[in-house]
Amino acid sequence: MIDPDQIRWAILIAMLAMLMMAVFVITFVILYQKRQLAQEKNLREMEKEYQLRLLETALNSEESERKRIAQDLHDDIGTMLSLTKLSLNQLTKIINKDEPQTEYTANKVQSLLEETILHVRRITRELVPTTLKQFGLPTAIDEFVQKLDANHSVSIHFNCIFENIPRQSQKVELTLYRIMQELVNNALKHSNGDEIVVDLHMEMGKIELQVTDNGKGFDAKAMKESKKAGLGLHSIDSRLSVVNGTVSYLTPGTKGCRIRVQVPVELDKESKAEPLHPFRKSA
Amino acid sequence: MDKYIQFSLRHPLSSIAVFITIVPIYIIWHRRAYNEKPFRFLFIYLTIKLLIDLVMLLFVINSLNNLLFYNIHLPIRYALLSGMLYHYFDNIKYKRLLIILCIAFVSFAFWEIMSVNPNLTDTYNHSLVRYSSTIESVLMIFWMLAFYYEAIQSLRISNLLTFPFFWICGGLLLFYSTYVFVAPLLHYVAKRENQLDLGILYDAPYLFEILSMIFIGLGINYYSPRQYDRS
Repeated sequence: MIDPDQIRWAILIAMLAMLMMAVFVITFVILYQKRQLAQEKNLREMEKEYQLRLLETALNSEESERKRIAQDLHDDIGTMLSLTKLSLNQLTKIINKDEPQTEYTANKVQSLLEETILHVRRITRELVPTTLKQFGLPTAIDEFVQKLDANHSVSIHFNCIFENIPRQSQKVELTLYRIMQELVNNALKHSNGDEIVVDLHMEMGKIELQVTDNGKGFDAKAMKESKKAGLGLHSIDSRLSVVNGTVSYLTPGTKGCRIRVQVPVELDKESKAEPLHPFRKSA
Repeated sequence: MDKYIQFSLRHPLSSIAVFITIVPIYIIWHRRAYNEKPFRFLFIYLTIKLLIDLVMLLFVINSLNNLLFYNIHLPIRYALLSGMLYHYFDNIKYKRLLIILCIAFVSFAFWEIMSVNPNLTDTYNHSLVRYSSTIESVLMIFWMLAFYYEAIQSLRISNLLTFPFFWICGGLLLFYSTYVFVAPLLHYVAKRENQLDLGILYDAPYLFEILSMIFIGLGINYYSPRQYDRS
């Protein structure tokens, strides 16, 4: 016959062992899950950082490629076109000017050539905004706006107090410039408005760019979801993610569109005193 | 009333274990957690438990054999807790196994009740089942471990400590972990001619039942429809 005390002790020990196992399981689950979640979070952050770096590299490559193409256009095509123009000038002098048809054709070729040279220069400037690197963002935007204003029926204004915008890092300036280009071109192509206002100012440690038009406006969310039309807006998002920027699409009043881009200030540590620039406005 | 007070003073833990069930029932009702299917099953289980416990208490105060209610309570408890887990789990294999085990256990439990007590009308000599409570404990421990395994595998829950089912399953795991070793002996202990005295161990399941009810109440207290939306 087993002693009841022995049974009680055996059950007590077994019960305590089982209880300890239960407590151990619960504690293990809590700790394991916390560790797993922390690891997953780290992994997600690493992935995000990797994606950002990848994007930054892609954007840098794009800029390098633009630079190379601009260099080729300027050095090769530009030079050859200039030489062609010189040769054509010489040829115009020696051709028979008594024949009106010949003179007409020569002038036409000369005019086409000059136009081509201008186009090449414009494309080169658009590919690499040298003004941006040399004189900074406000001056580059001002130059861009003035050229567009002269060439389009749409009225384009640029509001900025130049002195209030210090030089930013090359990355920030280029990002904002490219976004401004995209937004203004979009407004010109799609808004059907007759006025575009570009505004650049500082706002609580952030540099803010606003592009407003009085056109028909658009639904940014629907546009982004659309595979065909949303590429430009996705490109803006991608560029902004590299510099921790944000974009918001607003509809002021009943028509038109206002796009506000904010990027944290990242002062350029290597900036030098700006030389005088022919396009610079006095504040 | 005097009888009840005297009984409560003699057996405080078993009395508290009955009335503490009101706490999770109230919290489920107050937080409207019964709108979710798993909590609805839990709510039905707790309500039935409370009713059966009250009837058992009434019987024991009047020195009547209440073991029939305890025996019937076992398959009902397992079926309702299985229903709760069935609606919690997304894994189809777990769901199938839950149904199979539920049908098997409920059938076995009813068969055992009949087997141990061939004459059900003889309530005076009614005995507790031999194996059903132990099998139920083992199965429930298995399902609680399955819940924790699923929780750490899927990583769907961002903070376990504020997830209702973590506490509910924690409470049930603690209860069944202690009950699993006492259960095989209850058939021999709960007899009129009691030959085995468990002493303080007899009260241990009550203690952990109270603890499990506190855990369940705490878990439901964390319930919110938005948080429970695991999709």
